[in-house]
Parts: sequence; structure tokens; C-alpha cells
Amino acid sequence: MNAIVFDQVSKRYGDVLAVDDLSLAIEPGKTVALLGPNGAGKSTSINMLLGLLRPSSGTVTIHGRSPEHAVRAGELGAMLQNGALIPELSVKELIDLVRRLYPDPLPLEEILKLADLSELVKRRANKLSGGQTQRVRFALAIAGAPKILLLDEPTAAMDVESRLRFWASMHDYAAGGRTVLFATHYLEEADEHSDRVIVIARGRLAADGTAAEIKAGVGGQVVRFTLGDQPAAGLDRLPGVTAVEVAAGTATLHTSDPDATVAALYRGTELDIRGIQLAGADLEDAFLALTRES
Amino acid sequence: MLFYAKTEAMRMLRNRRYIIFVVVFPVVLYLINANIYGKQTDGAGVRYSVVLMVSMAAYGALASSMMSSAVPWATERQSGWLRQLQITPLPNWMIIATKLGTAMLLVLPSLLLVAVVGVVQQGVSMPVGQWVPLMLAMWLGTIPFIALGLAIGSLLTADAAQPASMICMFVLAIAGGLWFPPEVFGETMRTVANVMPSYHYASLGWSIVAGHGVELTDVLVVAGWAVVLGGAAAYLYRRATVRA
Repeated sequence: MNAIVFDQVSKRYGDVLAVDDLSLAIEPGKTVALLGPNGAGKSTSINMLLGLLRPSSGTVTIHGRSPEHAVRAGELGAMLQNGALIPELSVKELIDLVRRLYPDPLPLEEILKLADLSELVKRRANKLSGGQTQRVRFALAIAGAPKILLLDEPTAAMDVESRLRFWASMHDYAAGGRTVLFATHYLEEADEHSDRVIVIARGRLAADGTAAEIKAGVGGQVVRFTLGDQPAAGLDRLPGVTAVEVAAGTATLHTSDPDATVAALYRGTELDIRGIQLAGADLEDAFLALTRES
Repeated sequence: MLFYAKTEAMRMLRNRRYIIFVVVFPVVLYLINANIYGKQTDGAGVRYSVVLMVSMAAYGALASSMMSSAVPWATERQSGWLRQLQITPLPNWMIIATKLGTAMLLVLPSLLLVAVVGVVQQGVSMPVGQWVPLMLAMWLGTIPFIALGLAIGSLLTADAAQPASMICMFVLAIAGGLWFPPEVFGETMRTVANVMPSYHYASLGWSIVAGHGVELTDVLVVAGWAVVLGGAAAYLYRRATVRA
């Protein structure tokens, strides 16, 4: 059975259609990124999964049942945007409070280890830094050992190091066969930390697949080199090339087959090729193309 | 759920402002007033040291009821902590029930402290048959005030709940005759006091210490307010947590 199913779900706030006929299914055990620009409907979708919002039409199911049922059964854990802690309580007290509300929680020690909080157990919540607060919120999300973990832009307030630590924690938790759905507008995060990327824009499904598939689907990769003042003529006829841009002495070739393009550059042209770069991981282009179209 | 209640109580007891307003203030006020007027007696012949003990215990309990409910609740609702709890298996009604229970628990320190000071410093002495009903009435009688605090917390933002609960608390305390004996009021103020739940709440205590038992009117008025304000709190809570 699928962990999460959206079946023709729409959510309307007055005149605004925040989620527009969204249908998707997520298998158990996957780590899935919900990628989209601000206002794409990511948070609305997550709040519907948690039963905090009701769809205007369509149904959301979790393990085949309603979100309310899943929440009661302790199947869901979530890190929502802007969730404050209780200032007077210590890290340990907060985690213990939440974990005891679940039927089958993780042991306290394990939560502290997973969220990298062992050093901060006695610290009061009002004495935590921004990154530490996020770690506590992550700890609260996993405290009940939920089968499905939902993260709504979890790294929004974190610095680079906190982010790395955070994703390591997330992977540790997901490794137990758990399902993770995280919303983000950072393309690299979606690319690096998920098995599957669901792109939404204006409440609609814009793309769905692995990061590589999504990139390939929108004209693939980029070969870039220093052209200097050599002529650009003929570059667009190289194998695989779909478009050529020349700016400030740098040629950028969009290609669906970078291997063939590079081979032909060296063997099939008289050009002096210097400073060659393969920019494959440009999900950003794919993302922009996708969100523009829809 | 019990652990939740325990944690909630612990958290309020760590709040300095709460301790000062709710626990220290009524005791200090009692000590000052009782040392000035304590030896005099009221119209019914009860020493003011006893009357004031009831008044200050009532004021402390009232302040505690409002302070442990309105602002913390509004803050949690606004800050997303309530949502954090809503996505746990804890049912919604249990969240508010725990709030009520914890607030009632937190009334006890101020009630007991004023009573202890009354006994130790003012030599108040009463038979157990008066102490027990007194404490019980003063304790259960806080329900309307806690309900009022929770209603404010569900209705207003934390910034607005702060002055709103303070104003309600002072109006209830002063107009209810907790700070100044109702006898010193003029006719108008006595009429006002008569519809205040706080006046009838304290009056439960005054009647008991005067040896009159409990007045039915007082019970009915306090219970009536408990129903009205409890209903309002429940309605506003549902409205605040409803799934749109």
C-alpha cells in the first residue's frame, strides 16, 4: 500500500487555488522532495497531509486511511514552518513530553543521538540558537518514531554546517525504512537528498521523477568552455547539441548527450578548447523551465 | 497526558512573572493589610485577619487562574506549539482539558500560601470543618476564571491577551471586593459587585469563615459563570483549532 496518496486534491482559499487537482502517490520507504517556488502549494499540501487543513475537493490518504486517523495512530511526525518551543522547558523535557504522547516512541537516547542533541539536554529552549532550535524541532518530529516524516522547508533558518548535519540526521532516520517527504525551494537539496523529486508550481504537478530524469527531460546538460575570439559557427551542429549561447568569450552548449558533444568538440573541430566544464547538475534550469511552463 | 500536565505545571512555576504576581503579591498584600486592620472585625464580627485571608487567597487564585491560562495559551496557539501538539496522537479536547487541569493545579500554591501565612503570622484558627470546605470552594470556584483566561487566549493574540487578561483580572479583583471590603463601597459599586463572579466566589469563602456555611446564591452565580465562560472557552477553542 502507498504511504501517501493525493487523489485529485484541490484546496481553495477564497479566490486563490493553492492546490489545483493534485494527484500523486508515494511508496513507503522513499525519501521524496516536494520542490517548488514560494507559494506553489507545498505547505498547504503538507498541512492537508497532517489533517490541519481539509481539501476543498479530492481525498488525501495515509496508508489507505484518513490523515486524522494517521495522526491519532502516531504514524506521522512533522517539522512545520515557524514552530516555536516552550521557552521554560529544557530540551530533554520538551522531547520527553512529545514522545510520551505516542504509542510506540523512540527511546530518548536514540532521539538525542539522531538529532545531535546529546550535549544540549539540559539547555532551556529560550537559550538555544536558531540551528539548535531546528534540531530540537527535528527531534520532536521523530520522537514518536513516525513511519512517515514530513518536513516543511526544514533548513530555512540554518547555516551551511547546520544544514549538513541536518541532512545527515534525516538520512539516518530514513534509513530505517521510513518514508520522508520534505518540501524545499532549494534545488540542490532536492537533488542531493531525495530518491524522487516532485515539482509543483501554482498548485499543480509540474514534474515527477528522479532528479536525473527531471534534468534529462528538460534538455539535459551543459558543456561550457572558453571560446575566446574563435568563431562559434558550427557548434550548433555538433552531436547532441540543442542550443548554443556565447557570452564574454565563453560558449555554453546545451546537450542531451554530453559525451558525444565533448568528443566531437575535440575531434570534429579545429577549435582550441580550454577550460572545459561539464555542468550536468543544473537542476535549476530544469526547474525554471518547468515552473515557467505550467 | 499526566506527564503533559506535569510538564505544563513545571513550566509555569519557572516563570518569574507568574511567581511574583500570583504567589508573592497576594501574600505581601495580605501581610500588609492584615497587620494594619487584622485586629478589627467586620459587620458580622469576623476578624479582618480572617476576612482578608479569604480575600487575598481569592485574589491570588484569581490571578493565577488568569495568568496561567490566557497569555500562555495565546502564545502557544500563535507560535505553532499548539500545531505541534495537534499532530501528535493527543486528541484536541485533551489539550484544552489539560490546560484547565493544570491551571487548577497551579491555583493551589497561592491559596495554600496565603492560608499558611494567615495561620502562622496572624494566628488564624478555624475548625477543620471550616478549613476543608473553604479550601474546596476557593479551589473549585476558580473554574470560571480559568475558562475566561482560556477564552481570551483562544480569541486574542498574545500581545492583546496580555493587557486583556490583566484588565479582566483587576476589574474582577477590585469590583469583586477582593482588595477592599465590599462594605466600604457605595451603593452602585455594591450592585456591580453583585453580578461579578469574583464577588460571589470570594463570598463563598467569607460565608464559610463567618460560620454561615455556603450561600446558594453564591454557588449558583459562580456555577452560572462557569457554564457561560466554559461554553465560550469551548466554542472559541473549537473555532481556533478548526480544520479549515
